Amino acid sequence: MEIPTSQRIIAILWPSFLTACFATVLFFAVFDPLELLSATAFGDTSRLGAYTIGFFLFWVLAAVSSALTCYFLRPTAGR
Amino acid sequence: MNDQLSSSSLGDIEPELYAKRQKVYPREVHGVFAFLRTTAVMVLLGIFYGVPWLRWDGRQAMLFDLPTRKFYVFGLSFWPQDFFYLTGLLIVAALSLFFFTALAGRLWCGYACPQTVWTEVFLWIERKIEGDRPRQIKLDKSPLSTQKILIKGSKHTIWIMFSLWTGFTFVGYFTPILELGHKVLTLATGPWETFWILFYGFATYGNAGWLREQVCIYMCPYARFQSAMFDKDTMTVSYDPSRGEPRGSRKRGSDYRALGLGDCIDCNICVQVCPTGIDIRNGLQYQCIGCASCIDACDDVMNKMNYPKGLIRYTTEHTIEGKPTRVLRPRVLIYAVLLAGTFIGVLYGIAHRIPVALDVIRDRNSLFRETNLGLIENVYTLKILNKDNSTTSYKLWATGIAGLQLLLDQEIIEVSSGQVSEIPTRLQADPVDLQHRSTDIEFHIQSLDDETISATEKARFLGPLGLSK
Repeated sequence: MEIPTSQRIIAILWPSFLTACFATVLFFAVFDPLELLSATAFGDTSRLGAYTIGFFLFWVLAAVSSALTCYFLRPTAGR
Repeated sequence: MNDQLSSSSLGDIEPELYAKRQKVYPREVHGVFAFLRTTAVMVLLGIFYGVPWLRWDGRQAMLFDLPTRKFYVFGLSFWPQDFFYLTGLLIVAALSLFFFTALAGRLWCGYACPQTVWTEVFLWIERKIEGDRPRQIKLDKSPLSTQKILIKGSKHTIWIMFSLWTGFTFVGYFTPILELGHKVLTLATGPWETFWILFYGFATYGNAGWLREQVCIYMCPYARFQSAMFDKDTMTVSYDPSRGEPRGSRKRGSDYRALGLGDCIDCNICVQVCPTGIDIRNGLQYQCIGCASCIDACDDVMNKMNYPKGLIRYTTEHTIEGKPTRVLRPRVLIYAVLLAGTFIGVLYGIAHRIPVALDVIRDRNSLFRETNLGLIENVYTLKILNKDNSTTSYKLWATGIAGLQLLLDQEIIEVSSGQVSEIPTRLQADPVDLQHRSTDIEFHIQSLDDETISATEKARFLGPLGLSK
């Protein structure tokens, strides 16, 4: 049964989006981005900027995981 | 045998799950439940679009101020340290969902879910511009023409404007909306604000304009585990097959019972009004969002036929089977007790919140030093966070070692509302009173006006090596 590409993309991006929302709230409730970044080269990033970048990093990470799950679920040719 | 079973049942489910989408044109519906839903939409959207404009004490009443990491909810202000309460509220929300679902099915989906609420508005705009269901279908089938481009173009323009306003309101919860409005009018919004207005606007436009029921069917986790919360005593939108079957068309006023027919005239209107495009007569399905449009539509038809209402109605599986229904069953009672308990706990916690927080940081540069008088001195930085709504004065002291002295650079510790004050502090103790190299001590802080506002924080006092035992 072939799954249409659009639904495959939704199945990868959507769960990772939910996870990223959750992770962003949890992470930034504990860590203040200004304190985290002050010692690094990204010291002049604003909090709003850091939240946004953080959210997308979480999304990408989770999407990679979803994509790998999707990939490994495919039947192999046996060779 | 197992293999055979699973492959055949999968074969049934999968084409349905992954079939190419047929566009659903929900037919307009009037009735009790449509009225309830419209009311819910107006109230909820009124709250969403209105609340950011409310003021409280000279500031925005509801503001999740991300840039300064402070949450204002009317008279209360919350800090990242208060994350605990947010967790509590989320648990309350989850338990409410379980409770109401067990009681009366997907009330949330039918009346309150943002997906339903915004889709309802988008459908309304679509109907105003493109006309009713048959006109929409005709327009979509017609070849490309100036007329078609004009109609479709104005629909999308209004959708996009409404979505951008939604995105603007959303960002207005996180950054002061008055300033944001001013920035938008002068085209001076910052890059992140611009991005989030567009992102949220795009999400609204995509979800409510294009994806619609697909969000519920393919993207919503709640729909998939509804059966775990349902039982045979749950009120759901159901068709009564014992009354309706065998369905069939008939002339008005004909003696349909003599013809061997049930009450269902097979007019298919229940299917046409369904926003997810299912046939409720096939029984409970995970695609059903419990919007009760089919109830309104069918009642209307039953009225016209002079049949009693309620061929499709809110009822339980037990009632349909002719068995008694129990509303107060263990599942409902357990959810109710958990819900009430958590809710009261969160309320109590917020009401008895201690509006001061104390953090102690040891000076990292020196472990200790010896004063001219031979006393051992440790240096700390105290961070005092005043979570109260007014400026407060505090007294500070330390315990844990006999004769421990606390020295401050300033006489009174005064912290204004919502501020963090960093206070350099020195503690001095006589070496004869020290038993170990490291002694556990405690800092105490208390408001001068209200003794109940106090906090305690543990720290360590270090002494010379010779004290080691």
